[in-house]
Amino acid sequence: MTPRVSPILAILGLMWVVVVAGLAVLKPGALALSTVTAVLQFSTILALVALGQALVIVCGGAGIDISVGGMVSLAVVLAMLLVKAGLPGALLPVLCLALGLALGLVNGFLVTRLRLLPLIATLGTFYVYSGTAVALTGGAAQAGVPDFLLPWGRGAVGGLPLPFLTLALPLFVAAGVLLHATSWGRWIYGMGFNERSARLVGIPVDRVRLAAYGASGALAGCAALVSLAWLGGGRPNIGQNLELTSLTAAMLGGIGIFGGRGGVFGVLAAVLLLVTLQTGLLQLNVNTVWQVGIVGTILVIVLLVDNLALVRRTS
Amino acid sequence: MHTHSKVALLTAALLAVSSTLALAADKKVAFVPQIIGIPYFDAMKAGGEEAAAKFGLDFIYQGPVDTNPVDQMQIVQNLIDQGVNAVAVSVLDASSIAPVVEAAKAKHVTLFTSDSDAPKSGRALYVAQATDEGLGNAIIDEMVRRVGEYAKIGIVSGEATASNLNAWIGFMQARAKAKYPKLKLLEPQYAGGTAQRAAQIATDLMTANPDLKGLIGVASTTCPGVGQAIETAGKIGKVIGTGYCSPNTARAYLKSGSFGYSVLWDPKELGYLTVWAGEQLIDGKEIPATTTPEGMNHPVTYDAQTGVLLLGEPAVFTAQNVDNYKF
Amino acid sequence: MRAFLQRFCEREALLALGCIVSGLVFSIRSPYFATPDNLLTIARNSTELLLIGLGMTLLLGIGGIDVSVGSVLGLAAIGIGRLLEAGITPALAALAGPVAGLALGGVTASVVIFGRIPAIVATLGLLGVYRAGIFLALGGSWLSGLPVGLTNLLAVRFFGLPVSVLVIALAYGAVFVAVRFTPFGAHLLAIGNSEAKARLAGIGVRRTQVAAFVISGALCGLAASFYVATYGNVEMTIGATLALEAVAAVVLGGTAVTGGRISLLGTAFGVILLRLLQNGLLLAGVPSLWQPVVTGLLLLLVLGAEALSGRLPLGRLRPSALGVARRAGLR
Repeated sequence: MTPRVSPILAILGLMWVVVVAGLAVLKPGALALSTVTAVLQFSTILALVALGQALVIVCGGAGIDISVGGMVSLAVVLAMLLVKAGLPGALLPVLCLALGLALGLVNGFLVTRLRLLPLIATLGTFYVYSGTAVALTGGAAQAGVPDFLLPWGRGAVGGLPLPFLTLALPLFVAAGVLLHATSWGRWIYGMGFNERSARLVGIPVDRVRLAAYGASGALAGCAALVSLAWLGGGRPNIGQNLELTSLTAAMLGGIGIFGGRGGVFGVLAAVLLLVTLQTGLLQLNVNTVWQVGIVGTILVIVLLVDNLALVRRTS
Repeated sequence: MHTHSKVALLTAALLAVSSTLALAADKKVAFVPQIIGIPYFDAMKAGGEEAAAKFGLDFIYQGPVDTNPVDQMQIVQNLIDQGVNAVAVSVLDASSIAPVVEAAKAKHVTLFTSDSDAPKSGRALYVAQATDEGLGNAIIDEMVRRVGEYAKIGIVSGEATASNLNAWIGFMQARAKAKYPKLKLLEPQYAGGTAQRAAQIATDLMTANPDLKGLIGVASTTCPGVGQAIETAGKIGKVIGTGYCSPNTARAYLKSGSFGYSVLWDPKELGYLTVWAGEQLIDGKEIPATTTPEGMNHPVTYDAQTGVLLLGEPAVFTAQNVDNYKF
Repeated sequence: MRAFLQRFCEREALLALGCIVSGLVFSIRSPYFATPDNLLTIARNSTELLLIGLGMTLLLGIGGIDVSVGSVLGLAAIGIGRLLEAGITPALAALAGPVAGLALGGVTASVVIFGRIPAIVATLGLLGVYRAGIFLALGGSWLSGLPVGLTNLLAVRFFGLPVSVLVIALAYGAVFVAVRFTPFGAHLLAIGNSEAKARLAGIGVRRTQVAAFVISGALCGLAASFYVATYGNVEMTIGATLALEAVAAVVLGGTAVTGGRISLLGTAFGVILLRLLQNGLLLAGVPSLWQPVVTGLLLLLVLGAEALSGRLPLGRLRPSALGVARRAGLR
């Protein structure tokens, strides 16, 4: 079962051209390497989280993960608290990953074992995770990120930021390979497309879904690590709004909300487009509130167009 | 063919004009607030624009729509990339600018803080409205003057993650401990950014502590909530409300009596001073220990060691003098 | 049918019990909890969420959702505030709330239904658009120090009860009647159950869906009137947390997110329980920062417990292709 290449990618490509061309005309100074570096730097956290969100949604079963932001915040806080409590700072990357994975598996357990609807389960964990992160720290930022992480978090090679190059990009490639070239990928698309048939055929739907939620958590843990290495401190509300923006990015990237449709590179393209748009608007000194409105409008329009294309195709 | 060449000429002209505009020699100063859409920062913006007009600078005002430090940092990064000469930031937290300080230096962009500081981040200087300590002390002293030394006082703050708010609360607590040991200062409660939550929490605090004598709203967004809560609970006169509120926001509550006083500085002056400081930094001028910037009617002090440019003492507004102020 | 009703009453009874038990615990922890003033405070704090939750119940019942309800409330509140500033009589200004909400509900309905975009995604996009609208309408500042006319209207009491209680009771009563005794209600639940089958049965699916969104919008507008009257301040971040809180409360109350099953009483109890916990925790001395955690835990515990005890129809929840379709949106 091969996933359809949706017209959304074409629309994204078109928007990209429009944004870049617009910038070229209105503010030629903006098209510099430093802008590219900045865009990639700011895309990394969102890209990681959006990837996790995309995996969860593609698995179907009304999959969604509203707790992604909370997972990032809590992973940041717990990792820093553990290091403060005496664990060696060198373990920080491992801690972030492990904590994220654990939090994600809790979501997976709630969805697959307790059969809670993902919207509800992750809504509950959203409140618990994000609330605990702020309550545990009283809102105070956690300083004391080990020095060895900062050059990685803030460094760049040839204009490409290191976290993007060494973490986000490889993970996207891995996910792409997983989805398009392995049997797991076929299972995932199958589950998303028609779960009943998938079960009948013998696909371990629950296990795959559990893994997807775990992956979303692990990716949130990666995002937590990136934020720590980049900012040099742990903010308990770093994940604020990530649930909405990651969902937006996933939708823009062609992931069908019902599952079984879309690919990860669309998600990456969508993330980059969103951040480029933000950057472009900021360069043009457009009020930041317009960003929110424009992104919302784009989301609606992109989906409308996608619908029309769908209707045209099936009629 | 004729129209084609006309279009080409026009486009070329447009590009030339826009690039020359981009290369214009006007010095640019920017200010990034913690969040846009709040009267307090709007007042700073007005002050900044006034100073920019006076000194012949370009003033850019851009801020995030929510209190996320990454969003704030993105804006700062963009301003640096744009080649703005001096960027002032009211930091949500030190992490809002720490990663970009190096990049700023590399591009010869001066990064400095205003209204909220990140002391160890390598910022050029900090334009302070009043010392954090002065602010914490003023609000406690004025409260004790009104409710006595044995009273119970509640604190309603905004975001738990705002470092400047937490600094003021810290000094409030220190002052109470040092000077008024019999004063009972309750643990701060956090209302986020809405008047509704602030009102809800203020009301619950008054219910939980019927002997509560004072309520301090720490973030400017909590002011209407606290004032409203006191009025709705019918506790005007029994509970003294206060906060770091602008006269315009506090006026209704000062007049109705739910607020006994309000502590603030003039954010417009702060914005003005910020842009002035930006110009000094761009021109590389030394700031003397005491000076009166052009256009201001009182001196400001500068401590070269800590890099703090102080606007002055906090002002206390009451029902009597609030009408003299229009911000 | 009887078993159906029984299952309903179990959740509502559970919530009612929860309210009572928490109330008792809090009264022990704090002598000020069980005072009439405090109980009135809880009731007042619940007003907006009760109304928004009512609308959300209908939307979930039909298999949809609306995450932009907080911004709809915000826009309506700005409208009311501007009218008050312009000197319009408070009663008229208050009416402007539901009217504005109705109009916005219509906009949302068009995007979701005629655009054929899944509700969760469409309302996510609209959330951004409305928020930008709020900023534009506020002119980048706040509305504060509004004339007290509306607040005074709110203080009016009928038979000793505040006017808000009566309005809410009326709203719930009207919706109850509509759902139980009119075709609208039957259609709503049928569509929530299975949109395709409803269509085959000849039900005016679109009409009902539009009605649900419009009613929800009007209820948000009504909540805005109460908001302005109570708090007198409209800021940019208004209503930010309301959408998810409403979903949490409605789901707590027994309404199925998959659609086809709603519980108005459950929603009311869910809202009251949430607000009661928030109030009681503060009185009991728990720092306010833990309140969201309690909300989340409550949600997970109640639904988890039900799932574990096997009362939820697991077969129903196992998603099928069609089920996925109606759960995540309207198609």
